Amino acid sequence: MTHTERTEQRTPVNGTIRILIGRYQSFRELKDLFFKILLSVAIIVIVAPFFLVLFEVASIGFWQVFGSSSGQGIEFFLTFPGPSLEGGIRNALVGTVELVVIASCVGIPLSVLGAVYINEYTEPGLTKSIVEFTSDVLAGVPSIVIGAFGFAFLVDFLKLGMGVLAGSLTLSFMMIPTVLRTTQEALRSVPQSLREASLALGATKWSTTWNVTLRAAFPGIITGVLLAVGRIMGETAPLIFTAGNNLIVPTELSGSGSWVASLPYTIWAYITDPRAYVQEKAHGAALGLLIMVLIIDLIANYISRRVTRRLV
Amino acid sequence: MNEWEHHIEVQELSTWFGKKQVLKRISCYFKDNTVTAIMGPSGCGKSTFLRTLNRLNDLIPSFRRKGIVRFRGEDIFSPGYSVYNLRKNIGMVFQRPNPFPMSVRDNITYGPKLHGVNDEDELDDLVESCLKKAALWDEVKDDLDQPAPNLSGGQQQRLCIARALSVDPPVLLMDEPVSALDPISAGKIEELVVQLKKDYTIIMVTHNVQQAFRVSDQAAFLYLGELVEFDKTSRIAEAPTDERTEAFITGRIG
Ligand SMILES: Nc1ncnc2c1ncn2[C@@H]1O[C@H](COP(=O)(O)OP(=O)(O)OP(=O)(O)O)[C@@H](O)[C@H]1O
Ligand SMILES: [Mg+2]
Repeated sequence: MTHTERTEQRTPVNGTIRILIGRYQSFRELKDLFFKILLSVAIIVIVAPFFLVLFEVASIGFWQVFGSSSGQGIEFFLTFPGPSLEGGIRNALVGTVELVVIASCVGIPLSVLGAVYINEYTEPGLTKSIVEFTSDVLAGVPSIVIGAFGFAFLVDFLKLGMGVLAGSLTLSFMMIPTVLRTTQEALRSVPQSLREASLALGATKWSTTWNVTLRAAFPGIITGVLLAVGRIMGETAPLIFTAGNNLIVPTELSGSGSWVASLPYTIWAYITDPRAYVQEKAHGAALGLLIMVLIIDLIANYISRRVTRRLV
Repeated sequence: MNEWEHHIEVQELSTWFGKKQVLKRISCYFKDNTVTAIMGPSGCGKSTFLRTLNRLNDLIPSFRRKGIVRFRGEDIFSPGYSVYNLRKNIGMVFQRPNPFPMSVRDNITYGPKLHGVNDEDELDDLVESCLKKAALWDEVKDDLDQPAPNLSGGQQQRLCIARALSVDPPVLLMDEPVSALDPISAGKIEELVVQLKKDYTIIMVTHNVQQAFRVSDQAAFLYLGELVEFDKTSRIAEAPTDERTEAFITGRIG
């Protein structure tokens, strides 16, 4: 110890300060600990529902999906249900895929083109504000209301009747605001100088938008698309009044032969059934749906990470 | 064809953003196969000037201009003049490296493909020759399919130069091409500019007086939108005629 340090320690004022700092430090540590605990609790509360849902669904439905005796496992998904709902859920699986594919074919191009139009081809102004406002409102409309609208407009007014077309168009109403807004966000994050570099080479506006801007925005767009697909895949409410139900797969696009089953509708219908084996199938279907949505999320994650690493 | 002496001639050019006048009655021409440095303090209109020459300012709704810019004798603002052709002939390199989010090769082939080159062999040759001209070939030749954004900043900027050369423009505009780079990369690009003037007419904006003196044949000094001085670089370096130029090159303004 040097001479000066020793003298400093001896002065009374210095001593008090030291004690204060010591207290303060332990108080800070206490605060630190407190927040750490708070954060861990928050994290647990956030992730717990996911595992609880998984557990609840799997505890009844597990053997339906992963079992190997007859009617279980892959057979559960690939056989049609019989008249008293014995058998599998092929009708619902195929129906959901059909609904989601048609909804995507309509909804994705419309929303991406819409976003490109308002972001790249118009100046900020009234049109842009109106589109953004309406799509935000649409995104917040409860799905049952969308379903009611689908019934009133598509089924009734346009006379499409219930079925795969009306159902998937109703679903596409649900995905448009999400995809539109995420696409806009992705386009906005593309630096202006990238567009300028393309134009400065003599490219047209369209070529620039298509080859450079959309390409740079692709990871963001695909993430939005997959999130929207994952969401509509599990929606029951929009389908109740628009898609009907079916024990086989639809044979037509609209009209009486076009009624279609879906996984969420089937889960909803089966779970209210008094027969235990039907309820078990409901849980199996729920587990199947959960797995599908999870896979889509993982793909979204993977693509966006891979493409980001490759391109940005 | 019009008679023309210099690729680019500017006559009484004034520009505005909204009500704000940015360039004031600028007249000048750029000698072919030389480097012209445009100097001036921040905000004096250097970028605006450059971006008027390839009509990139047309993108900005509030932009207006008066006066004439001639490319090969033709008024580039005359109705019916093809802006795509103009930009094919006047390449541009930006301040920050901005490679496209594609592979190194695709960055180079993008421009030629736009203008109708589709032959694979021809494209391969172009990739090689452009990257060689930009002194990048040796560093990337083994992996032309790597994503361009993975290159270092200096490599990216040389790639951007190669990309600009890919459509074979006689004129090259460079807007502070090294100001975002480290000194070593900056030095490489300076050397490159000097080499390129054999085949190209280069107009380069720079903040840096020493750099302007090192690489340019002519120098222009812009001050608050006015073209204060435009002459041989050696002459300006020795004895600027205008006191504002002198103040700038001795570091008193800017
Ligand atoms: N898009 C625009 N809209 C409105 N004003 C603009 C726009 N771009 C530039 N200006 C204005 O024009 C003037 C000249 O800008 P310019 O970018 O040409 O300057 P500069 O000489 O390149 O400066 P720096 O050295 O900082 O790049 C500035 O006052 C700027 O505010
Ligand atoms: Mg500038």
